[in-house]
Amino acid sequence: MQGNGTKIGFIVAFLAMSVYYLWPTIANTLEQNYIEDLPEAERTEYVEENAQRLQNLREESLSLGLDLQGGMHVTLEVGTPQLILELAGDYADETLEEVINIADQRALENNTDFIEEMVTVFEEKYPDARLSRYYRSDAQDITRRSSNEEIEEYLKNQRDSAVDRAMEIIRTRVDRYGVTEPAIFVQGNNRVVVELPGVANKERIRDLLKGTARLEFRLTATPDQISNARERVVNYYSELASDTTDTTLQQNNGQNPLTQVLATQTRNAYSFGYAAGRDTARVNELLQRSEVQDLMPRNVQLMWGASPFSETPQGQELFELIGVRPEAEMTGEVIEEASVNFDEATNQPRVSMNMDSEGARQWSRITGANIGKPIAIVLDGYVYSYPNVESKIASGRSSISGLENVQEAEDLVNILLSGALPASLEIIEERTVGATLGEASIQAGFYSTLIGLIIVAIFMIIYYHAGGAIADLALLLNIIFILGILAAFNATLTLPGIAGIVLTIGMAVDANVLIFDRIREEQRTGKTLRAAIDGGYSNAMSAIVDANVTTFFVGIILYSFGVGPIKGFAVTLMAGIVASLFSAIVITRVVVDYLTQEKSAEISFG
Amino acid sequence: MRWFETPDFNFLKAHKIGYVVSGILLAAALIGILTKGLQYGIDFKGGKTFVLQFEDPVEVQDIRSELAEPLGGAPEVKFYGSPEEVLIRTDNPDDITTVQNAITGAMGQLYPDNPNQVIKTDIVGPRFAEDLKRGAVNAIIFALIVIFIYILIRFKDWTYSAGAVAALFHDVLIVLGVFTLLSDIVPFSLQIDQAIIAAFLTIVGYSLNDTVVVFDRIRENSLLYKTMDYDEMINKSLNDTLSRTVITSVTTFFVVAVLFLFGGEVLRGFSFALMLGVVIGTYSSLFIASSMVIELNKRQQKS
Repeated sequence: MQGNGTKIGFIVAFLAMSVYYLWPTIANTLEQNYIEDLPEAERTEYVEENAQRLQNLREESLSLGLDLQGGMHVTLEVGTPQLILELAGDYADETLEEVINIADQRALENNTDFIEEMVTVFEEKYPDARLSRYYRSDAQDITRRSSNEEIEEYLKNQRDSAVDRAMEIIRTRVDRYGVTEPAIFVQGNNRVVVELPGVANKERIRDLLKGTARLEFRLTATPDQISNARERVVNYYSELASDTTDTTLQQNNGQNPLTQVLATQTRNAYSFGYAAGRDTARVNELLQRSEVQDLMPRNVQLMWGASPFSETPQGQELFELIGVRPEAEMTGEVIEEASVNFDEATNQPRVSMNMDSEGARQWSRITGANIGKPIAIVLDGYVYSYPNVESKIASGRSSISGLENVQEAEDLVNILLSGALPASLEIIEERTVGATLGEASIQAGFYSTLIGLIIVAIFMIIYYHAGGAIADLALLLNIIFILGILAAFNATLTLPGIAGIVLTIGMAVDANVLIFDRIREEQRTGKTLRAAIDGGYSNAMSAIVDANVTTFFVGIILYSFGVGPIKGFAVTLMAGIVASLFSAIVITRVVVDYLTQEKSAEISFG
Repeated sequence: MRWFETPDFNFLKAHKIGYVVSGILLAAALIGILTKGLQYGIDFKGGKTFVLQFEDPVEVQDIRSELAEPLGGAPEVKFYGSPEEVLIRTDNPDDITTVQNAITGAMGQLYPDNPNQVIKTDIVGPRFAEDLKRGAVNAIIFALIVIFIYILIRFKDWTYSAGAVAALFHDVLIVLGVFTLLSDIVPFSLQIDQAIIAAFLTIVGYSLNDTVVVFDRIRENSLLYKTMDYDEMINKSLNDTLSRTVITSVTTFFVVAVLFLFGGEVLRGFSFALMLGVVIGTYSSLFIASSMVIELNKRQQKS
């Protein structure tokens, strides 16, 4: 019996700790059930009165994965090639672009770091040149003389800070959106993962995450330039339409493919034409042709209006294509404050902005020089409005109208204030699970665990009699331990995680099976019960250790390679192994020893 | 209750049958994989999947043809656990929102009186898919190396390591083959995705668990019965541990089967892989791993 005191101490401590860490989860579940049963009127009052306490409970509870509570998981990638090109600024040339393109391709094929590949490609192609010709900058401690290694270091730092900044900006945006317990973290060297439990409006989140918030104030092109451009492009397609050899424009029956989708009877002198929402992509495609690009005057760029200006009787929303200057007069960095208010005349929401002093000075100059002409307010490549300048604006105030609703206005303010993203962000993975599916999964997981547990428990008693009952007790405690470990490590319970627990139930009895089978063997050799028990436990040990260590290794590997739910599975698998070893070896031994204290004691292992 | 009280099976004789059985299974698996190719899910292929829940049962065929035009090519459409739920997979490269609107729009036209809602979406970009695939391959290779080394250290004999790893290859290949061959036949998805890789690694862990217990007994018996013939000693070890092997496999199979039946559609493919894995892993521990050790030992002694 020696040492059993210590063992019992361990068991009690382990159990107490598990219960301690699980308590908030239990309390939270009880509270939620209580709240659900309350009548509607009392419910709100109760929730308000206990808001703080309820929130604490929720935060300390074992958290559920998105697959169990519903929500959205998004992985965003910071566009490194683009960032590196932009960093070169005015020094960028075709050579650099080519190097970047080759490096991008290689990095993808070889799964290597893009910046390292870029340096390699550059050195291969231009052994006598230095990258510093593109990246010299006194402010950054790199000069013309900097070595390629120094530039590599510099570029990596720039990328890291771009990723950090992207993460911070996303955090600000998401926080203001009001998601409970969002998780935002960096993965690898250029990815940001965003997990948003319980989010229903996916589209809004996508816009919020991807909005680069590049705000520009641009002059419009002159009416002459716009009408000239239109004439040339329309003529080009008229000629092309009669040319039947061009197969890219088939099935047009000789009609002008552009005017089929774009109305050219314009709304005003600055508009190039308009199209239905579903046709805008086709219009873009037609305008993107290199022949068409060559026809366009250099100082005209066409941009779509952000919101429809009208609807057809059939309910098709119509969007306008506006001619603006290719370069921005001013960008959004000067914006200091932004808020939502309403246009007094139309009662439409709009976003009012205040500029800093430098911005106000510039704004005053620009507006002063363009009285009577429109200035386009462009956000992320869409024209929100292009009001006529009535008079010189010295206050540094401006506003964006043409917003669909208050929600859009609020999101815009949020994006403007959190700042522009340092580089383009692309959604490379997105997974969403509806709340009802999540709930169904919890139920499925719960019942699977319960049924699995009952089947194994009954089987063990039938097969090992008293020994089986002891193993069942250990199994029960085992599950409490696993949940306790998960709660203590702040792990998230996912559906594969529950599968891991279920699997552990099946495998957890393995250690006891090894021990009990061994005890039976020892008994067959004629040993006394006590001696057989001692022999059973000690002889089975090496097999138990080997078997579990190998599975534990697999858990570690799964954890380090897997993402999301797979990690959850790996964590429960590992927690399960630790917990089941403890229960199967220590707990059952204490119980067996206790039951066989008397020399004459009988205990059946089947 | 007692099964296999003092079993005395001649596993060595059975090994010959084992070779034949495994040979046939492996050949079928390889042929299946080579002719049909591995059926990757969107995790490793990239693409977009949407799970739609309708109020009343729908027809997969109708949905597929209705979507062919708006999506520019007929998508994969499958039932997702019930006749009211369908999974739609498409490679359409458009914006997520655009694709989803196209799908819900077309469904509104096809089933005007049977409203639907999107209950699950998974979108994986092609580059990200490539990364996930590489990660999965690395994980499997890494797992096999770690296991080889661990067994080498514990048993101080490379033939054990080789036997165990050969058994693992055997198990994974066969399960992979079954997945490929059955993927169009069974009413649930058997595409290879991240969860399936997790299942494979778990199978590796489980099969190894079984194998190691047998090896452990071989090591013990080889010290106890020094004069016993090597083959006979291995046969005895297999018989000694047979009861445990069967019991553990039975309990594990029970719970995995429960997971398969009641765990929901999301875990269907995963638990199916585990079910197959438990059966094949147990079989390979009894008939493949130890016979590999015997063979390798014989060769070693000859040379």
